[in-house]
Amino acid sequence: MKIKKNFSSQSGQHQIMVQTEPLYESLDENIRKIKEDLGSSDDIIIREIRIGREGSVKVAVLYTDGLADKQVITEFFMESLMKKDTLIEPIEQLSDGDKRLESLKGMVLQIGDNKDITDFASLYNSLLSGDTVILLDGYSQGIAASTQGWQSRSISEPVAQSVVRGPQEAFTETLRTNTSMIRRKIKDPNLWLETKQIGRVTKTNVAVMYIKGIVNDKIVEEVRKRLDRIDIDGILESGYIEELIQDEVYSPFPTINNTERPDVAAAELLEGRVVILVDGTPFVLIVPTLFISFFQTAEDYYQRADISTLLRIIRFISLFIAMIGPALYIAITTFHQELLPTQLLISLAAQREGVPFPAFIEALMMEVTFEILREAGIRMPRPIGQAVSIVGTLVIGQAAVEAGIVSASMVIVVSITAISSFVITGYSMAISIRMIRFVIMGLAASFGIFGIVVALIALVLHLCSLRSFGIPYMSPFAPFVVGEHKDTIFRLPHWALSSRPRLINQKNSIRKQMSPPSKPKS
Amino acid sequence: MARKLFVFISCLLLLFPLTGCWNRRELNELGISVGIGIDKAEKGYRVSVQVVNPGEVTAGKTSGNRTPITLYEATGDTIFEAIRKITTISPRVIYLAHLRVLVIGESLAREGIEKPLDHFSRDHEVRTDFFIVIAKGSTAKDVLKVLTPIEKIPANKLYLSLETSQKVWAPTATVTLDELMTDIISEGKSPVLSAVKVTGGVEGQSQKNVEKIDPSGRLKYTGLAVFREDKLIGWLNEKESKGYSYIRDKVRNTVGTLVCPEGGKIGVEVTRSKTQVTGKMNNGKPQINIEIRMEENIGEVECQIDLTKRKTIEDLEKSAEQKVAAIMLGTIHKVQKSFKVDIFGFGEEIHRVDPTAWKTLKQNWDEQFTHLDINVKADVQIRRIGTVSNSFHKKEEE
Repeated sequence: MKIKKNFSSQSGQHQIMVQTEPLYESLDENIRKIKEDLGSSDDIIIREIRIGREGSVKVAVLYTDGLADKQVITEFFMESLMKKDTLIEPIEQLSDGDKRLESLKGMVLQIGDNKDITDFASLYNSLLSGDTVILLDGYSQGIAASTQGWQSRSISEPVAQSVVRGPQEAFTETLRTNTSMIRRKIKDPNLWLETKQIGRVTKTNVAVMYIKGIVNDKIVEEVRKRLDRIDIDGILESGYIEELIQDEVYSPFPTINNTERPDVAAAELLEGRVVILVDGTPFVLIVPTLFISFFQTAEDYYQRADISTLLRIIRFISLFIAMIGPALYIAITTFHQELLPTQLLISLAAQREGVPFPAFIEALMMEVTFEILREAGIRMPRPIGQAVSIVGTLVIGQAAVEAGIVSASMVIVVSITAISSFVITGYSMAISIRMIRFVIMGLAASFGIFGIVVALIALVLHLCSLRSFGIPYMSPFAPFVVGEHKDTIFRLPHWALSSRPRLINQKNSIRKQMSPPSKPKS
Repeated sequence: MARKLFVFISCLLLLFPLTGCWNRRELNELGISVGIGIDKAEKGYRVSVQVVNPGEVTAGKTSGNRTPITLYEATGDTIFEAIRKITTISPRVIYLAHLRVLVIGESLAREGIEKPLDHFSRDHEVRTDFFIVIAKGSTAKDVLKVLTPIEKIPANKLYLSLETSQKVWAPTATVTLDELMTDIISEGKSPVLSAVKVTGGVEGQSQKNVEKIDPSGRLKYTGLAVFREDKLIGWLNEKESKGYSYIRDKVRNTVGTLVCPEGGKIGVEVTRSKTQVTGKMNNGKPQINIEIRMEENIGEVECQIDLTKRKTIEDLEKSAEQKVAAIMLGTIHKVQKSFKVDIFGFGEEIHRVDPTAWKTLKQNWDEQFTHLDINVKADVQIRRIGTVSNSFHKKEEE
């Protein structure tokens, strides 16, 4: 809270400073003000040069070191500006201001897009985004030329959502690269892009992408409205936006999905969803999101349909194991021993001989240990990660059993649960499930299977009440839409996936019209 | 919203202490009883409970010098009291849900089993999937004291052995509590239970018994015990028990012997058997028709016979039909003569076809049963003769 307050007071000062003040006519005045406003930061390069035959025209070239491509600046600006012969002559001769500026622009135009600047706010915006600003003495107008070029990570393989078969490229931290990756997949004029700047201080570029004609316009409107409502000092990751625009605040379930894969983003666009890209992060947001989205992977559509269906069923089974596995073990072994086959009961009882804790404490200990190990594995510097796994296998493995602290069967239950939670493809969903697991364990320990059933009923009720941008979260299960089960638990072959999810796009739902492939007629 | 949530969460959290973990029992607090024996005591009952010693049963964990089971025993006015009394000698509460067998001593069975069974049908912990057997010529306690090889838990041995012998040998009957209770109540069917016998005396009661290749103490099923209502009145031998199984359509697979036309024996396996018992009122007199259809395989030939001929097989089928009919009739006659109780459920069949006639018949059904008109019709098909056609004995002699 304290930090936030500090920020807001700072940004208050900030706003006073950055006002939409028009540029001065005098170059010296302008430069003085810029230096003052930016606190003479070292990385802001201001080069004042005199051009023209006798150096009668004063020009200032401003750019931010590191954000602007120096090579472009030297090659296209400096060289052409310094040239005494060619274009500068007319500039000198033309006493009329506008024309001087025009010819200067014409000269700068060689390097691509540029725009006029008339006030300080847009000057700073351009300057700090990597543009090069040229100010001409005697004019209350400048030119911003796009010279953005900074060090960025090149496109690499996806880390969080890897596939065996499928494109091996992931989004990067640069917004423009990301939009280009989607454009490369969908070459359609209807793929529209809207960019906004969000964050009073960070001024982060946020792009909203959708396919006009497929997307539900109401959802686009809703996305716009919710994005406009955001008033925050900074956006550093798409997670900020996710939390600020999601439908339900008090829910453990994510109602907005994210991906780092351009192919997934493209596929979602084709289904009529809206993709929100945020500068500075490879994770893009997808809205609206259904519960089922977290159990589908890109690879489902690249593999054969039957295999994909099998894998999806396995994912659903592991959802239940991850959620109620340890709870079921606790409930059965402490309340409903009659449910076990006699032989199994005896062997479980034998393992529990000499274990000092109740099954619930035992399970809780193991689960917490596992969560600690998992967290350590992620946060540890990579070279030490190896050590964690060695210690981990010892702690939650044989050693704990031999020490008589936990029973061997509990180790098996916890391990299966842990593995199952990794099978759920949506990482944000997997985290939620892990959280719910602890609650259900507690219920199982005090109410037995009754507690588990009550928890599951409550969970279903809650899930059915959720919406993501107006779309029921559990659709097509609740409300039950028969036609859309083509691509939920089952994934039918591509020739059968003839329509888009109706609840999401509502119009233009015909995806393709194709009959199943037939054998060649000989 | 936040206030509502707070109230909701507080209510939820309060639920946990409210239960106080009611009825929660850890696995190592349970005395898992697998077998219970009930005997007559001077006053009330003597209950012996076979409790598993889990550490000694599980693979790879046994110490080897302790028995896999322990027998606890207590007497009480009621079964319930006796079982609770066991806590004075056992460290754990007796847990009845995994009961495999209930053994009833012969002397108690002769006095009636209805009363002691009430506790088992009433107690919520007990399930009705265990088998009930009668200890023939001994107390139930003696049966539960024998250690058995292969199956470490003797009660489990009793359970599995009964199940398997019913499946592939036939002259035993797997009777669960609910079936037994139905039979006791029923007017048209008297109950039967399998009988188990202890051989070898006290030698079977120590670990030494299972250290031998040929253990001296054994538990063996021998035929069936016949009840009038809930009182034991006599025994059926193995052959008669098999007849009972045929009539009750309990045979799934068994082995029988046929006699060759020129002497010698043929062993046959019954692979499929279906019995249909139908009742009929014939001029005011009850009549029972038993129809059995069987499929057999030849499993062993010890005589000179040409199995390749169609005629031979047909002859064999005929003699098998006569044989099975004889077995069934033998059992019926024995029961009609010496026990005079309807253990086959013929009364129920009459009840089914003619409920009004049954109203008068049931008054003295056991009397009616002794001279009941019974027709047996058998149809046997021999399907396979094995991997060789004619026996190699034949060639040697030629």
